[in-house]
Formats: sequence, C-alpha cells, structure tokens
Amino acid sequence: MLLVIVAAGTWYYLSHRGAGTGATLLVYFTKLDGKTLGDLSVSLRPPQAGESAAEHLHNTVLYAAVQAVAGPPDDVQAVRFPPGTRVLGVSVDGSTATVDLSKEVERQAGGSFGENGEFKGLVYTVTGVPGISAVQVTIEGEKLQTLPGGHLELDQPLQRSDW
Amino acid sequence: MNWTNRFNAPIGSKFPAAAFLLAAALAIPAVANTSLTAIYQQQSIRFTHLESYGNDTAIGVDDPGFATLLRESGAVLTWKPGERYVLITTDVPVVVSFSIGDRRYDVGPISLQASFAPYQRGDEAYLPFNEVLHALDLALRQDGAVAVLQPQLASLDVRNEGDRVALLAHGGAPIRPRIVQQSGTAVTYEFDGVGTTLAGTRPIGAGGVRSVTIAQSGTVRDPKALVTVQLMPGGAPAAPQQTDDRDVLLGFSGAGGGPAAPVVAEQSPTPMPPPQGPPAASTPQAAAAAQPGNSNAATTVTGVTVQRVAAGVSVTIAIAGNATFEWHRLREPDNRFWVDIQGAQLQGPPIEQNEPSPLLSMRVRQDDPTTVRVALSLSGPKSIEVSPSNNALDVEVGDNDVADVPRSGSGSVGSVVAVSEPNAAFVTPAPSDEYAEPQNPQDTTWKFGPRGESAPQYVPTNPRLIVIDPGHGGSDRGTIHGGVEEAVLTLDMARRLRDILVSRGWQVKMTRDADVDVYAPNADAHQELQARADVANNAGARLFLSIHVNAYINAGPYGTTCYISKAEDVAFGRILETHLAADGTKDDGVIKSHLYVTLHTRMPAALVETAFLSNPSDYALLTSPAWRQKVAQEMADAIGEYTQEYPVPNQPAQ
Repeated sequence: MLLVIVAAGTWYYLSHRGAGTGATLLVYFTKLDGKTLGDLSVSLRPPQAGESAAEHLHNTVLYAAVQAVAGPPDDVQAVRFPPGTRVLGVSVDGSTATVDLSKEVERQAGGSFGENGEFKGLVYTVTGVPGISAVQVTIEGEKLQTLPGGHLELDQPLQRSDW
Repeated sequence: MNWTNRFNAPIGSKFPAAAFLLAAALAIPAVANTSLTAIYQQQSIRFTHLESYGNDTAIGVDDPGFATLLRESGAVLTWKPGERYVLITTDVPVVVSFSIGDRRYDVGPISLQASFAPYQRGDEAYLPFNEVLHALDLALRQDGAVAVLQPQLASLDVRNEGDRVALLAHGGAPIRPRIVQQSGTAVTYEFDGVGTTLAGTRPIGAGGVRSVTIAQSGTVRDPKALVTVQLMPGGAPAAPQQTDDRDVLLGFSGAGGGPAAPVVAEQSPTPMPPPQGPPAASTPQAAAAAQPGNSNAATTVTGVTVQRVAAGVSVTIAIAGNATFEWHRLREPDNRFWVDIQGAQLQGPPIEQNEPSPLLSMRVRQDDPTTVRVALSLSGPKSIEVSPSNNALDVEVGDNDVADVPRSGSGSVGSVVAVSEPNAAFVTPAPSDEYAEPQNPQDTTWKFGPRGESAPQYVPTNPRLIVIDPGHGGSDRGTIHGGVEEAVLTLDMARRLRDILVSRGWQVKMTRDADVDVYAPNADAHQELQARADVANNAGARLFLSIHVNAYINAGPYGTTCYISKAEDVAFGRILETHLAADGTKDDGVIKSHLYVTLHTRMPAALVETAFLSNPSDYALLTSPAWRQKVAQEMADAIGEYTQEYPVPNQPAQ
C-alpha cells in the first residue's frame, strides 16, 4: 500500500515537471574547446500572484541572462565573460530579448575565441526561456555593430542557429 | 558539478538549529539598532539600512556598507525597483536569487527557505541579512563588543574515485592550507583566516581515508579551521592543490593506489556522509537535505544491449538500484533520441557504435557526475516506447515511421517504478554537446538561415582571384602579447600566402598590404569590417580568407580554429582545417559563428585563427617565421584542393 502511494506521488511529481512548478532552465556555457556546450540546471519559478505574463517573462529573462553571464562555478572550465561584466537590464519585444551588458564586456583578449564562446552560452541560455528565440545584445544601452576590435556581428539579434 | 553536492553549512527555516545559531549571533548588535558596524577583512564596515523583522534582520540593497561588502567579496547585485528577482552573483561564481514576496531563495541549483520573504519599500528591496551573509560564505560573530564578519570554510566536498579520494574545500576568503601535524595515521591541515560551522567527524572509508574531522580554532578575528584526515593503513596524502584563491583540493590514495594524483573535475562526487555526534547545527534533517542524490548514490547502469525484436529493435538499459529518467527526441528531420538516467553511474567504458536500422548509432556515456546518457540516432521518425521495470529501462524503436510522436517523457526505475505521460508540448533544447559540432561532413546539425548576404548561386566574376584579409592593422593592433602584435603577424602570413598563390598562377588581392586601416583610422568596427568584405564582394572574388591570431584572458587555450558562417563556407573551412591540422598546434576544428566578415562576404569564406598569442607554446610558433611560412603553405594547398574539388561552373579550375 505504501509503495502504491509513493509511486503515485512520484508519478504526479514527474508528470508535472516542465508544465509549471519545478521547471528548470539550462544555463549553457562554452567549454574550453571553444565550441562544445556544457550546461547546468537551475530551477525556474512559476509566476507569482500579481505578476503578469509579460512581467514574468521579463523577470525570467533577467534571471537567465544573469546566470549565463555568471557562468558555472570557477572549478568548471568554461569560456567566461571578461571579469566584471554585468547584466545592466533586459527587455523583451515579441520573441526577442535585449540584454544590456556593462562596458567590461569590451575588455576582450582580442581573439574570436572569447567572443564566440561567451555569446554562444548567453544566447543558448536566454533562448531556453520559453517564448524567446533571439537575443539582441546592447552595451551600456547602445547597440554596437561589433565589440571594439571584435569579430562577432552584434547589431542584429543572435539566435541559436548562428552557431 | 561538484557544487550541487557540496556539504554546505545549513541555514534557514529548513535547518532550524543552524538558523537559531546564526540568529543568536546576529541578534546581539543588529536587532536593537538600525545600524551595525562590523569588521570584515581588517576593514570596518558600517551598515545603516538594517531593519528588524520579527526576530530577524533585513538589509536594504542600497546600504552603502552592503555595497562595500559586495565589492570587497567580489559579488555583484542585480535589481531594479519593480523587478521580482534580487540576484547576487558571488565570487564562486554562483547566482543567489531572492524573490520579492517569496521566502524561497535559490543558491545555484539549490532551493532554500529564508526566515522571511524579501520585500520592497519605496525604491529599495530588503533581504534577509542572515541568508545574504551565508550566501557570501560569511558568518557574523561577536568578539567582545565588536562584531566580526568572519569568512567561513563554507564547504568541503568529498569526491570518491576507487582508490582515490579528493576533498574540495571552498572558503569565503582566500584559503591556503598548510599541514600542521602529520603521522602515518593522520594528517591535519590548518586553513588560516576562516572559521567554520561544519565542525564534526564524518566517516569516509575509501581512498585511504578513514574519516575527516573538522574543528575550529583561533580567535573570532583570526579564525582557523582544522581539517584532520584519519588515514587507513597505506593511505597517503598528496600536496594540496590550489585551484584558485578560494578553492583547494586535497587528494588521497589508498594502499596500492599509487601516488595520490590530483583528482580532476569531472569525477563522481560522493556526498559527505552525515556528521557523527555534535554539533547541534547538524540535525539528521539538515544533513539529509544537504545531500542531494544520496539515495541514488549506489545506482549503476551495468550495461546496454541492443536486440532485434519483431517490429524493430529493443535497447535494454540494465540498471542496478533506483533512478529517475527523462527522455527527449528532436523533431524530424533531426531524428535523435536520448534518455538521461539520473542519479546513476556508468559501469565500464562509454559505448559508441553504429547500429542497424531503425537505428543508425548508439552512444552511452557518463554525461555528468550523476547522469548516464544513452543517445540513439534513428534512421527516421520511428515510433519509440519507453518502459521501465525493476532493473532495466527498455527502449523499443519500431521499424515504421510515425507522425506526431511525443517528444519527451520521464519516470523512474527500481523499487518504485513510475512512468509519466509523455509530454508532447514540452520544448527542450537539444543536448548541449549534440548541437555543437557537426557529427558528419554533411554538417547536418549546423543550421543555415537566410542571415548572411550570400546568394545560393554565387558565381565569381573573377574566378582566378583570391582575396586575403590580414586581420586588424593601422589603428587597430588586434591582440598584443609580449610586444608582439596581431596586426603585424597577420600581415606577414598574408604576404607569405600571397606570394605562394601568385607563384601558382592565382591573382591575389589583399584587403591591406601595409600596416594600415582598410576603411580609415579609428573607424568603427562595422565600417572597418564591411570595407574588408567589400574588397572581395566588389571584385567578384573566388574565395575570401581572413587571417587572424587568437587570444584569451588566460594562457590555457591554444590551437588553430577555422571560423565559418554561411553554408557556402563549410567545404572551404573543412579543407582548410584538414591542411592546417598539421601545423604543429592543436586542431580545434571548424566552428560556425556569427562573425562579421564571413557573414558579409558573398563567396565562400573563412576566418582562420592561426594560434593563440596568449599561450606560451603557440606564442613560440607564431613568432617563428618558419612556422608562419608553413601555415601560409598549408593555406595555399587548401585553396588549391578546394578549387579543384569545387570548380566554378563553366570555368576552368586552377
């Protein structure tokens, strides 16, 4: 009898994952080969009382962007944003999220490696939020065509299919 | 990830005893007043936006003292009035997320309950002070009349790998353990500058380690944490290995296990067993809660067999122990399926093999320390049935194609068997590593949309012309290391390549043939990069090749990489990579990315990052003229091979 109850509980829990409570977000990061993605899982919270769908999406995108810029704990080897890079804010327009980064992101080492890996992780993570398919990056509120001395085109929204 | 298995000092209402201890410590100066002065790392910090909240204390995010504490501890806070989440990215880094109006807060992947819900008043958010300090690996202690924010030895993970055990210590301040006592049966490490609430003894019984005892000594202002490791006969410690300022790895090996080699990051973590006896902070409930996955620690995937059945094949995943699983499949035409057995270890080596239809191939591996992934490539949109039993998970793949198949499902295996309804609507990203590198030369996993400016039927008006783009130049020096500039190296390699191509009868146009900007000095990157693409587009060139030198913020990465962006670039990039693989550094393959010059050139194009100037061995190569000549030679050979294999319609190949 106890087994049946436990089984029913497990069933309920498992069958309701991803449908609301208990949903998770994968935070992607690029491994040090410069191309392969690793991920870690963090939980997403359901909408709160009084939180509109648009607010919930905004808040979730912000959460995802901050997680992506933080990256995994430092004992995990990953391509990382330059130290000090922060998410200043996000906005959502349709299925495109704009992520505003602080100027520290411009402190690149100079190669394609860092740029490519950082933005790949960010775009994969933020487009993991249901309803978001593209990410427009801005720096201190400005849309840049590329980072100074950079290689990656940033003046249009990035999508997973760009990688 | 080891941080999910860390034995963290518990806090919050989920852990009443620990909450009590910290609340008691905090109650001394803070609750009665709305300000607090505390010593942190020899610095006096005054908190002025403190509020009493019942028996607890709330801190306002605009508190100047709080800002100082965050800055000094390397943390960043993200919040704007009206937003729900107050996010603190710590130095680890880990994101601590508080939510206005919700007692739940998350530290990385772990959800905890705060003593009260954060709230917003006016334009300021207030957070539970205890929980904030805990997230920063600090504890408030009292030294007589003086409050001290004491960094903590915040976690000690145990990683067990057969004959070896590694203890990973993380501190709220830089930790540099030294051995203060050593005998044949025990070794004691002193961590100077951190206190701890992890005190107690925990049995290990593996890797030459009998048990670990953690104790606190020193004073409130000059705390020390002592970690004593009792060794089994033949057990031997290795020298502490500093992974960074705040993380140290202590390695041990058992008898016959050889020297205790450093244990690398990807190994199976073993949650710390519960402490024996005191302290009071470690209730059984707290200990259990701090050990995610403990109940499945012994679960193993013992084997995977593929068997022909009446109308397809049956893949049987033999599992000893209890585990949950989750499966996903991608949409046609990407017919891949994978199932993750969670809380399980793979017994034996990974498997990667081709299989007869309706499968194409099967891969089995330890995907992360607690997940075994079985991935199947299918020959079409085949029917799939997933059936768990007491000791196995059966995946039956039918011969027939089916429409509208479910895309994901989950359940459990073992003494409690459960299957959920498959969820057809749930959208899941492709497994990370499946998406990154194409599995075959046809590049079926790279998706090319109408993003670039290339035309599908690009025909060069000048099929004998190659455009070479030496990266950077003029006002843009590119990356610089040891006085060596990328702009100089790229021009040198481009000239060498030009000379070889010209000697082979090619016409060559350089986007620059001097140390100058292509567009104008100090132009923005868009103008500069578009000007380079324009050189090739306006000339109707056969190929565009941009030569660069890579760099990263640390010296680790090295190797040669070919970047491409468009479908037309794939074959050129592949052939370039094949030739450059012999250049003497690591072959990092072809990477598709959203790079400006490869996107905006209309002909097949590639950007080669020849090597890393930030890596010492690559630096030695890059600064060798002979190596640069070799690279130029390989690029020229690649151009020759490509143009032979892909002749321009109605025009003679070179």
